Amino acid sequence: MQLDAKIPAGPLETKWEKNCFDLKLVNPANKRKFEIIVVGTGLAGGSASASLAELGYNVKTFCIQDSPRRAHSIAAQGGINAAKNYPNDGDSVWRLFYDTIKGGDFRSREANVYRLAQVSNLIIDHCVAQGIPFAREYGGLLGNRSFGGAQVSRTFYARGQTGQQLLLGAYSSLMRQVARGQVTMFPRREMLDLVLVDGQARGIVVRNLITGEIERHTAHAVVLATGGYANVFYLSTNGMGCNVTAAFRAYKKGAGFANPCFTQIHPTCIPVHGDYQSKLTLMSESLRNDGRVWVPKQTGDTRRPEEIPEDERDYYLERIYPSFGNLAPRDISSRAAKRMCDEGKGVGPTGRAVYLDFAEAIQRLGQPEIAARYGNLFQMYEKIVAENPYKTPMMIYPASHYAMGGLWVDYNLMSTIPGLFVLGEANFSDHGANRLGASALMQGLADGYFVIPNTINGYLAGSRFAEVTDRHPAFKESVAEVVAKVKRLLSIKGKRTVQDFHRDLGNIMWEYCGMGRTDERLTKARKLVADVKAEFWENVTVPGSRADLNQSLENAGRVADFLEFADILLLDALARRESCGCHFNEAFQTADHEALRDDVNMSHVAVWEYAGEDKEPIFNKEPLVYEFVKLATRSYK
Amino acid sequence: MTWLYRTLSTSVGKKQLMAITGLLFLLFLCTHLLGNLSIYGGPTSFVSYAEHLHALGNLLVAAEVIMALALIIHVITAVVLFFENRAARPIAYNVDKSGGGRTFSSQTMPYTGLLILGFIGVHLATFSHHIVDQTTRNIFLIATDVFSHKGYLAIYLLGVIIVAFHVRHGLWSAFQTVGANHPKYMPFIQKLSIVFAVIVALGFGSLPLVVLSLR
Amino acid sequence: MSSKSINLTLKVWRQPGSKAAGRLETYQADNIPTDASFLEMLDIVNQRLTLAGKEPIAFDHDCREGICGMCGTVVNGRPHGPERETTLCQLHMRHFKDGDTVVIEPYRARAFPVIKDLVMDRSALDQIIMAGGFISVNTGQAAEANSLPVPKDKADLAMDAAACIGCGACIAACPNASAMLFTSAKISQFALLPQGRPEAAKRALAMVACMDGLGFGNCTNHKECEMECPKGISISNIARLNREFIKAALVSQEK
Repeated sequence: MQLDAKIPAGPLETKWEKNCFDLKLVNPANKRKFEIIVVGTGLAGGSASASLAELGYNVKTFCIQDSPRRAHSIAAQGGINAAKNYPNDGDSVWRLFYDTIKGGDFRSREANVYRLAQVSNLIIDHCVAQGIPFAREYGGLLGNRSFGGAQVSRTFYARGQTGQQLLLGAYSSLMRQVARGQVTMFPRREMLDLVLVDGQARGIVVRNLITGEIERHTAHAVVLATGGYANVFYLSTNGMGCNVTAAFRAYKKGAGFANPCFTQIHPTCIPVHGDYQSKLTLMSESLRNDGRVWVPKQTGDTRRPEEIPEDERDYYLERIYPSFGNLAPRDISSRAAKRMCDEGKGVGPTGRAVYLDFAEAIQRLGQPEIAARYGNLFQMYEKIVAENPYKTPMMIYPASHYAMGGLWVDYNLMSTIPGLFVLGEANFSDHGANRLGASALMQGLADGYFVIPNTINGYLAGSRFAEVTDRHPAFKESVAEVVAKVKRLLSIKGKRTVQDFHRDLGNIMWEYCGMGRTDERLTKARKLVADVKAEFWENVTVPGSRADLNQSLENAGRVADFLEFADILLLDALARRESCGCHFNEAFQTADHEALRDDVNMSHVAVWEYAGEDKEPIFNKEPLVYEFVKLATRSYK
Repeated sequence: MTWLYRTLSTSVGKKQLMAITGLLFLLFLCTHLLGNLSIYGGPTSFVSYAEHLHALGNLLVAAEVIMALALIIHVITAVVLFFENRAARPIAYNVDKSGGGRTFSSQTMPYTGLLILGFIGVHLATFSHHIVDQTTRNIFLIATDVFSHKGYLAIYLLGVIIVAFHVRHGLWSAFQTVGANHPKYMPFIQKLSIVFAVIVALGFGSLPLVVLSLR
Repeated sequence: MSSKSINLTLKVWRQPGSKAAGRLETYQADNIPTDASFLEMLDIVNQRLTLAGKEPIAFDHDCREGICGMCGTVVNGRPHGPERETTLCQLHMRHFKDGDTVVIEPYRARAFPVIKDLVMDRSALDQIIMAGGFISVNTGQAAEANSLPVPKDKADLAMDAAACIGCGACIAACPNASAMLFTSAKISQFALLPQGRPEAAKRALAMVACMDGLGFGNCTNHKECEMECPKGISISNIARLNREFIKAALVSQEK
C-alpha cells in the first residue's frame, strides 16, 4: 500500500496556499460534466455537498435518515473553535494549531492540523452569513467561552445546541442546491458497496431502505462523510444509526483504515441503568467546573449518598491529581472512574457509576447561581434519571463518544483508492490520539466547506475517466455480492436477535478494549469477538423481507460489519506499543499511571490494509514527521 | 392584480380575510351594543337612538353594505378553510387528546359560526328596518313584541351566548393573525378576549330583560 | 432510580406498507422497567416479537437524546406523549402506570403519508425548507463574522426559533394539520437576523406558497402546536410569519 501523504513542502503557513495553487483546476464549463457522490449529510457531508454544488459540480447526496437534517452532528452540544482572538487573550492560528496537535498527543500531521486552524476563522464567517444564531454579547458582537481545558476563550456556541445549528446551516445550504437542481438528494439510502472501475472509485451500490431495492449510482468521484464507529461499543453517545458500514466496505475495496484503536471515552455521561438500555447521554463536561467527583471509601457501600458522612467519601480526583483535581483531562478522569468501579467502589444500581456532587458548590454559590450555569443539564439529568441533582449527587460514568481513527487520507483528503475522498469523523486526519472539545465541528466543516472544494479539482482535472454506466460489470458484480449478503442474513433464521449480538460485541469491546487495555485482554477479546461473529452467522434471526422497510435487516448488516471491524480495532490496539491519548495500554505507563508515549518507535499512523476474507489485515505505516513543533509530555499533577 | 388574488388565496391570505372581517364584526358588536345600551335610559332614549341612526341615511346603507360584504367574505372563506382543514387530515386519530392549546371556543368556531349565521338571519328578519316596517311602530314596540315571544327570546339568548363563544376565540385570534403578537400586549389581548365575550353575553343578554321590564 | 417494572397493554398502528390498510394491533408489554425510555420499551417489545417469529414494529428514531427530530408518534392522543417539552426518546416509562393501555399511532396528516407502521414520510418539511429556508450565500463569500452586529435580544429570539428539530409534532398536534409553526420558526429565525433580511420578502412568499401546495391545513390559532412542541417554540413566530407575509405581499417588489 502506497501511503503518500502529499504534504506540500515549504513553511507551515504557506503549505495550504501552495497546495491549492499546485493542484490543477477544473474550468467552470467543465465542472458540470462531473458527477460527485457524497455519502452522509452531517457537518462534513452536508457542507461538502453544498459547496461542491455551488461550484457547479453535479452532486448526488445520500443519507440513511429520512432527511439530511437528522445526521448525528446535530447532537454536538458544546461549540466550535476558531482562532479569531476576539477576546484579545493571546490566541492565534498558531496557538490553535499547537493546542490541537498537543491535545492529540502528537499523533497527527502538522500540515493538516495547521490548515484546520487556518480555515477555522473562515468557518465562523461563513456560518454567521448563513444565519446561524451564535451567542452574542450585549454589544451585538459574537460571544466566546473557554472549553475543553484551553487557556483561551476561542469557542463559539449557540446555547447547548451548537452542532444542531451548524448542521442546520449546512442543511439549508444543501437544500438550496437541491432546489436549484445542482444536488440530487437520496434520503433513506444505505451505502452497501463502493464500486471501482480501473482502480478508481466510480460509484456506489445502495439499498433503498423503503423499497429494499438495490440501486446503482455512478460518479467521477465518491466522497464519504459517514461519521465514526463508536457504536462498535454498542452503548455510546452516538445515534442509533451511526455505523461503520460505508467506511468498512470501502476498506474492503482497498482503502486503508488508519488508527482504529484511537477511540475517545467521554468522562461525564449518564450511567448505564439496565440491560435494555440503548444509548448513553452525554452531560456537558463543563459540569466538572463546579461538581466534585467522589465514591464511598468502603467497597460495596450501599447507603444513599446523603447518608455517607464526609470522612467516608473518597474525592479521588482531588486526591490523585491535587493540582488539576476535578478538572483532570478526559482520558485521565475516565480511567480513574473505571478504576474506582473496578475496585468495587462504584455506586448506583449497577455499581458502574461515580458521584458528581454539587452540594459544596450550592453552599458556596447558592442554588440560583448553579441553576443559571447548569439548569438545562440538571433538567435533562432529572428527566432521564428521575432524581433531583440539586439534592442528590449526580451519577456519571464514562462512555464511548468519538472515533479519532478512520479511513486514511492524504493532505487532499483522498484515501488510498483514487477518487475516494473521506471527510469529517470518517477520516483519521486531524485529531491524533485524542480530540479536544469543540474541535469535531471545526474539522467537519473545514473538510466540507473549505478543503474538499479546493482539492477534488486536482483529482478530477488530473485523471482520465473511462465511460462508465451502471450496467458496467463492476456494478453487476457488486450488486450480486450485496444481494447475496442480504439474502444470507435473512436465511439464517436463528434464535437470537441482531440487537443481542450487538450488545454482546459491545460488552466485549468495552470490557477488554475500553479505557484500560492490556495485551492479554486484547488477545482474549479477539477470540471472543471471533466467537460472537461465528455465532452471529449461524444463529441470528432477521425477520421480515428484503423488499420493504426492514430495520432488523439494516441493523444486521451494520452489526455484521462491526463484528469484522472490531478485530481490526483490537489488532491496532495490540500493535500500538505505547500509550497515547485515548489509547492506554497498561504496560506503557509512568509511575503515576500516566500515558507513556514512545516517540522513537511509535510516531506513525498505523494503516490497515484488507488482505482478503478471513485473512489478517496488512499493517502499513505512515511516519509522522515533526518539523515545526517539539514533542512534549503532558502533565496534570 | 393577480398578485392580490394569489396573496388572498394562500393560507395566510385567507386568514387575513377572516381576521380583518372578524375585526370589523367586533367593531360592529361594540357600536351595536353601545347603541342598544341606550335602552337603560328608558324607551325614549332607545327610540331616539334608533331614529338618529336611521337619520344617517346613505352612510348607514354604506355601513350595511360593508358589513354584508364582510359577512359574505367571512362565511365563504370559513367554508373553504373548513373543508381544506378537514382534507388535511384524512385519517383521524383513534385517540385525540389536547395538549392544552385548544379551547371549547376554538374548536367550535365553524359550528358557532354557522349558528351565528342562522341567528343573524332570524335577527334581521325580526328587527331590521329593511324587513320590519318601522314607520308605524317604533323600535321599542317591535322589541317588546319580539321578546314577548318565548321561542324567540330563547333563540336570542342562545344566539348571544354563541356569539360570545365565537368572539372569545375570534378576538385574540384576529390579532395573532394580523401579526399583532407582542409579549407586552398579547397577555392583555388574550384576557380582553374573555372579558369582551362576557360583556357581549351580559350586555346583549340583558337587553330583552330590560325591554320586557319597561313594557 | 427505582428498578420497578410495569405491565402495559399496547395498541399499536400496524400497516405493512404505504398502500396497504392498517389497523391497531394489541400487544401485551409485560415487565417493562420504569427507567426505560419509551423507545427502549418499544425495543423490548420488538425483541420479543422477533423471537416469537413476528415482524417487529417499525418506528423512526436515531439520536435518542431529543435533538435529531426523527422519532415521534402519537401516544394516547399526544404527539411525543404526555410530558411537556419532551421528545418520545426522552419520555420515560415511569410516567405510565401499571395496567395502562397505551395507544400508539403515526402522525396523521395528508402531507405525512405512512410508509410502514409508525414510520412516516415527512419529506414535505424538507420541501418547505427548499422553497426558501436558507440564506443565499455561497461558501467563501462571507464578510468577517463581526462586521455586522446583531442585537442580543434579536439573536436570542432567532435562536429560540432555530431550536426547531423538524419532528413534525406541531403538524400532528394541530387539529388542522397545519405546518405554520414549523414554517414560521424558519422564517422567524432569518427575519430576525440582518443576514436574513435581503431575502425576507421572497422567502416568506415562497415558503408559504410551498407549504400550501403540500396539503397541510390552515392555522386557526388553536395553539396546540406550541403546547406539544418538544422545543417549546412559541406561536409568536406564527404572528411574525403573518407580519412578514403581509409586508412581502403588500409592500415588496416580489410578485
